[in-house]
Amino acid sequence: MSSSVISVISRFLEEYNSSTSTKLKVVDAYLLYILLTGALQFLYCLLVGTFPFNSFLSGFISCVGSFILAVCLRIQINPQNKAEFLSTSPERAFADFLFAHTVLHLVAINFVG
Amino acid sequence: MRKAHPQCLVSLLVFVLALEAQALTPSHYLVASDVDRLQAVLSQPFTDLKSAYFSVVGLSKLGVSVADSNDACSFIKANVDSSSIEALFYAAEASQAISSCEIHVSNETRDSLHAAVSEDSTVSQIHQAVSALSSLGLPLASQEVVSALKARISKEDNVVAITLALQTASRLSQQAELGEILEEIEDLAARLDDLGGVYLQFEEGLEATALFVSAAYALSDHVDMEPPLKEDQVIQLVNSIFSKKSWDSLSEAFSVASAAAALSNNRFHKPVVVSAVGPATVSHSHPLLQLHVTDVLCQPLSSANVLVESATSVASKAAILSQTPFTLRDGIFELNFMASKPASGYYQFSVAVTGDSRLVANHVELKVKVSTKVAINNMDLSVVDKDQSIGTKTTRVEYPNKGKASFIADSHQNFAMTFQLVDETTGVELTPHQTFVRLHNQKTGQEVVFVAEPDSKNLYKFELDTAERKTEFDSISGTYALYLMVGDATLENPVLWNVADVVLKFPDEEAPSTVQSKNLYVPKPEIQHLFREPEKRPPTVLSNTFTALVLSPFLLLLILWFKLGANISNFSFSPSSVLFHVGHAAMLGLMYVYWTHLNMFQTLKYLAIIGSLTFLAGNRMLAQKAVKRYSLHHL
Repeated sequence: MSSSVISVISRFLEEYNSSTSTKLKVVDAYLLYILLTGALQFLYCLLVGTFPFNSFLSGFISCVGSFILAVCLRIQINPQNKAEFLSTSPERAFADFLFAHTVLHLVAINFVG
Repeated sequence: MRKAHPQCLVSLLVFVLALEAQALTPSHYLVASDVDRLQAVLSQPFTDLKSAYFSVVGLSKLGVSVADSNDACSFIKANVDSSSIEALFYAAEASQAISSCEIHVSNETRDSLHAAVSEDSTVSQIHQAVSALSSLGLPLASQEVVSALKARISKEDNVVAITLALQTASRLSQQAELGEILEEIEDLAARLDDLGGVYLQFEEGLEATALFVSAAYALSDHVDMEPPLKEDQVIQLVNSIFSKKSWDSLSEAFSVASAAAALSNNRFHKPVVVSAVGPATVSHSHPLLQLHVTDVLCQPLSSANVLVESATSVASKAAILSQTPFTLRDGIFELNFMASKPASGYYQFSVAVTGDSRLVANHVELKVKVSTKVAINNMDLSVVDKDQSIGTKTTRVEYPNKGKASFIADSHQNFAMTFQLVDETTGVELTPHQTFVRLHNQKTGQEVVFVAEPDSKNLYKFELDTAERKTEFDSISGTYALYLMVGDATLENPVLWNVADVVLKFPDEEAPSTVQSKNLYVPKPEIQHLFREPEKRPPTVLSNTFTALVLSPFLLLLILWFKLGANISNFSFSPSSVLFHVGHAAMLGLMYVYWTHLNMFQTLKYLAIIGSLTFLAGNRMLAQKAVKRYSLHHL
């Protein structure tokens, strides 16, 4: 059983490495970073406690929000999805990404206290 | 529903009117000392003609003649100034009040007095001229006076002027047409202010009110027509005028004396003042209820009949007396109430004064107290065993002796006391308001008070259960002096009787400490304010570790990007892209500054500025990038 899981994973990784463009891989690396940051914050909260709760929420929501926005960006700039995003150029996607992040950071900084 | 009978309605109306006839009685009146004081004020030595007038005429109104009439007469004659109407007025009035004092005036003076009676003089001048002429016995033309007064009243419409006009009219011939002036009484009465239903007075003050009363009655007597004042109004005027018992000026005292004279001796209304001599209390030693029944000048109404219409007990509502007359003795009306053998308590008396149709406020309600002396009978003290196995030993103690032996009661025994309280003379059982049993520990100074309650047969019982009551005594055993305290408003002899000594033995005796009187007023221990404690924080080491841990993925990101070969080689140094990156960095810096220093409003302001710049630059930059990409792909 485990061998099949490993083989699935290795195959997946191989496919991934070959078929995804570098641009997307850059974004994926960023996604991984955001994920790890959020997970570590959550771990701290589990281990040590929720004080101060607003700070935890601010950081965690910021991570979650950033992750979502980055996923949106990735979807929008993927040339394979071009048919669905005819009116949205990659530059436009990036500009939206930046604007959304500004709002997210504003709110997160307000809440972190 | 059946129709209300007309008879019912009539009787209802009569009943309501009868209730209204519960008229006002004077709450403020002059007593003998006040009348003496008034007389003393008016008897002051004269300083000038005006004060002589007030004194002489004021005293004559009180029915008293001035001290030295010859002296007064010569003073008046010496100070009269024939050219002044006012001086002539004072002199004429004062000299008339003194017997055998005549002032002679020349023809010129008389003519000047006549000339003063005209529409061009003030009401005050007309009043003085007419009064002077009348007092000097000189003839005067009443009709001219009337027309002059009518003309002046319409011009001088104030209270004082109209009062003087009324006073003037009372000196005129009865044949003159005084009807219109008489109507002014009613108009003036309407101007009186009703204060709380108790007082009726002009806003001009006491003097104006008093002078109005004397003028109104003078004129009413002169024309023999009842003044349009209701009985309640008369009493309210009495309250206003006689509420002040010391007078600021001679003129004020004079006005009060005039009003008092008018109210005590006119043809229509005679207010009656009924008051008890001393407190309205009767007892066996003082069986007579004595009343002062006087007019407003504190003179007894010797010709009146004073009757108790009904005397009912307040407690039992039983009528004790009905239609019983008072007897007059030395100016005081007396009634032997104790002859009807009333029980002790309060009685509501309804007294009526009759004999003169002019009497006003002649129905009075009085509360009379009947007091008595209490005697304590059958005081039995005993110590009862709780399980009743040992027979009770009862000791009788006679008032005011003290029980010879002390009574000992410990936790297995009850101490009991029974007694009866009776009226000393009649033997009727009494239940006074206060019957207390006080136990006083002489050593520690502690005292405990209990209430003794009567049972259905009016036998008082007191039981002390030592075990049950030990908390009141703080479980301090010892000898307690037992006192019986009896008191009531209707008792003449309140009782404090040391009946016996009781030795109480409590179980679980703590070390007897002298009981400090529970002092409520010492400073209490200070309360320290507990500030809100800050929440517990995790140790700094832990926080720092996790901070580093959370920041570590960033390193990972950089490593991954490096491995992927992400680079900035395509960076075009166009002004818009530089500006964009600078602006973006500035926005991130603003976030940090917001976290540390700013508030939302300031941040939004800066963000708006930086953001718009960044947006414009970024737009430009991205457009350039798009053009480049487009051109690259579409080659």
